[in-house]
Amino acid sequence: MDITLRINGATCTGSPEARTTLADFLRDDLNLTGTHVGCEHGVCGACTVIVDGRAVRSCLMLAVQAAGSEVTTIEGLAPDGELGTLQQAMWDSHSFQCGFCTPGFVMQATAFLRAHPDAGERQVRAALSGNICRCTGYQSIIDGVLLAAERARQS
Amino acid sequence: MAGIMAERYTGASIKRSEDPRILTGKGRYVDDIKLPGMLHAAFVRSPLAHARVLAVDVSAAQALPGVVAVLTGADLEAVTIPGQDPLFAMMGGAGPKPEYTLLATDKVRFAGDPVVVVIAESRYLAEDGCELVEVDYEDLPPVVSAAFALDAGSPPLFANLGDNIIGPHKRSEYGDVAGTFAAADRVAEFRIDVHRHQNVPMEGRGCVASYDAGSGALTVHAATQSVHVTRMGVAMRLGIEPDKVRVVAGDIGGSFGLKIGASREELAVAAASRALGRPVKWVEDRSENLTASGQAREESFDVRAAVSNDGDLLGLDVKMVIDTGAYPVMGTMVSSIIEMMLPGPYKLAALGFESIAVTTNKASYIAYRGPWASETFVRERVLDLLAKDLGLDPLEIRLRNIAPRTDPPFTMITGRPLVGVTSKESLERIAQVVDIPAFRRRQAEERARGRYLGIGLATFIEAAPGPRSPEGPSGPMGMEFMRLRLAEDGVVTLFTGQMPHGQSHQTTLAQIAADEFGVPFEQVRVVIGDSDVVPFGLTGGSRSATMTGGVTLHGARQLKAKVLDFAALLIEASAQDLEIVDGQVQVRGDPDSAIPVAEVARQAASGQFGTDVDTNFEVEASFDGGEGGWSGGSHCAIVEVDVETGLVRIERYVAAEDCGALINPAVVEGQIRGGIAQGIGAVLLERSAYDQDGNYQSATFMDYLLPTACDIPRIEIEHLETVRLDADVNFRGVGEGGMIIAPPTVVNAIEDALTPFGARIYEQHLPPARILELIAAVDSGQ
Repeated sequence: MDITLRINGATCTGSPEARTTLADFLRDDLNLTGTHVGCEHGVCGACTVIVDGRAVRSCLMLAVQAAGSEVTTIEGLAPDGELGTLQQAMWDSHSFQCGFCTPGFVMQATAFLRAHPDAGERQVRAALSGNICRCTGYQSIIDGVLLAAERARQS
Repeated sequence: MAGIMAERYTGASIKRSEDPRILTGKGRYVDDIKLPGMLHAAFVRSPLAHARVLAVDVSAAQALPGVVAVLTGADLEAVTIPGQDPLFAMMGGAGPKPEYTLLATDKVRFAGDPVVVVIAESRYLAEDGCELVEVDYEDLPPVVSAAFALDAGSPPLFANLGDNIIGPHKRSEYGDVAGTFAAADRVAEFRIDVHRHQNVPMEGRGCVASYDAGSGALTVHAATQSVHVTRMGVAMRLGIEPDKVRVVAGDIGGSFGLKIGASREELAVAAASRALGRPVKWVEDRSENLTASGQAREESFDVRAAVSNDGDLLGLDVKMVIDTGAYPVMGTMVSSIIEMMLPGPYKLAALGFESIAVTTNKASYIAYRGPWASETFVRERVLDLLAKDLGLDPLEIRLRNIAPRTDPPFTMITGRPLVGVTSKESLERIAQVVDIPAFRRRQAEERARGRYLGIGLATFIEAAPGPRSPEGPSGPMGMEFMRLRLAEDGVVTLFTGQMPHGQSHQTTLAQIAADEFGVPFEQVRVVIGDSDVVPFGLTGGSRSATMTGGVTLHGARQLKAKVLDFAALLIEASAQDLEIVDGQVQVRGDPDSAIPVAEVARQAASGQFGTDVDTNFEVEASFDGGEGGWSGGSHCAIVEVDVETGLVRIERYVAAEDCGALINPAVVEGQIRGGIAQGIGAVLLERSAYDQDGNYQSATFMDYLLPTACDIPRIEIEHLETVRLDADVNFRGVGEGGMIIAPPTVVNAIEDALTPFGARIYEQHLPPARILELIAAVDSGQ
């Protein structure tokens, strides 16, 4: 089925099968391999992307359902190579280890901070509790999100 | 010297050089690899735990458009070498060796056992093909429990064994076991169980195998902890000369012991690529990962403890049964380490230890972060149970039994000296940071209000790398190798066999090399993940801090000496008078004489010097671990148990750790916190559950629960850096400790909280339902 959608600010067309997930379409058809597939049943959050402003599990959405939508992936956050506020804060906070869950956390936290720029630790923990990291014990990730929020408020 | 120290990279939380790529989606994980003409594999797996395979019909799958090949166990048996798991074969180990094929041929041995591999133009089509494969099975009685496996009447999984015992019964005694028990005031007996749970890295297993018929070379893009161990495994089972196998790896999405060597599926994919002459990719999905990649820690311990009325732990006598699952990987290695480590940092004077290993119709028992961790769980649980019986405080019984730090060091009854062990210091640090008497007062007040708080303590040591053996020819962990090169652009390049999968080696090794050689951090490159290029090595066993940190330091020193010898010709000074500061070679203290390292390297590469001048700026370094030493520490948890729901909330968690000198404190703390989170998960959430027929019950993240950001508290870390044993290398490993020590810490806290209910805990998995049973709020059904 032919679809047209906007991805990271550019118009894309493709012909995914009806059953192709958005995650597989991004990775296999568009070579946007920054989006990772961790469980394929919507629990781990590694595949989170932003669709029309909302954080979405791209393993639970079909590519054809995203037709006409505005999709942002991890590749769209620093298109000119300059890290965004959240990415920089996460780097400064040693947020991650193996990096596999990273794109999902970054996208989830991006959508969350847009809606809740003043969130405190409890809210951040709750907002990220649908994303699983097996390496860090979460503290460094939470610290990175809180640092990004603080920097955004100061600027 | 003080000024230079302040500017050192080593010891500072330098930001990771891995992060810019992973934070922007530019990491390269195995599933990101696409090769021209690449095909995709999917496996047909057994739905039954134990069955004979009567017939396999692949005709419908083969006829499906897009399916390129359907290979059965017999097809692959014809083109591979039967045997054991390559890792099992390499590690040796006593006892009989089961022989089996990559895919099941005559029988299946666990629910999830691979039977057929379908190779197609896409993963979707490969899975479509799997749906069309028909396998006829004849049920065999499943061997699901270790108890049944020990029964001579249980049907053997492997015909060549004759029974289900793969690690024969073995007993060792250290000290006067009989005399100690006969003379003791008391002998306590416990049965302690550790449940099956598993690694669950966020990225599962996977590979892309690509065979080049022209050269006969096979390239495997792998997710592995060692490109060389994987290379050896592939060569062994595919019958290829080892130097014709090249294993390449990029970013790896976690492992925790899972991705060592080459799994049956990965070997099958490699064999398929060779058979078809095209690249083949396989990346397991989460269900495969949970069901078939392997599981860990199913062990039981019958413990007898000889103890004095004052609380002196005099002797232990332990009988261990380990359930290694269907296709043995670890052999008897785990029980041997548990035996050696059981005394821990204590003055234990007598130990009897028996073990037996069985095979059952469950996924293979594999390495998981601190594979021998049950020795710490058993010992630290027993100490608390004894303290309760004797009316002693958990801190008091530990301090009473800890071996003193003496010279010469106290030697564990099993043989290794406790050189530099600081368990007493870490316990005392915990007691400084956590006001235990104040907690006891609050605990009593809250109990009166119907709130149940508990405190748990535990201590551990880890041989990372372990003490140098005076009689041994090499160090405690064998040798570590590294090639180092100064390139013409002045970049110091390290070629390491370490295969980091979250450990940040591209940062930490660069810190050490930059300091030792004298260049900026950014001027060091760490090359990993290509068996044609890097020396032998393995990331595992918490070895890299000492072993790779050490070879980096000594190798950088050797390389620097070579460069200074040559630079002495350019500067017309003695090499002894030269130094390298911030990437400039200069006469000591004379910046006016400085030449950039890059200029020195360019001159050397210019070909203008005769053969009597050494212009080869490359060294092969090795390191034996130096003076070695133990890592260790003590942890404390304060929990609240909701006796209405059985939920446990961790209110506070404090870790006092001694891993010697820190290379990068943020990296060290990440390792500690991550390990603790896995240990908390093991106690409160995670279990690899089978039903009585051997059906796997935990095959999705709805059933196998991992801790989230709401389950793991802030973790306070205290660093001790008490003992320096080696002139240069005092970094010690810290990768496994958190996972070793958190389970007993949390379980001890829960039992303490449940003291008013008279709860005695002999197990590690305490989900809400089990908590309610322990306080007799619901019937345990026993």
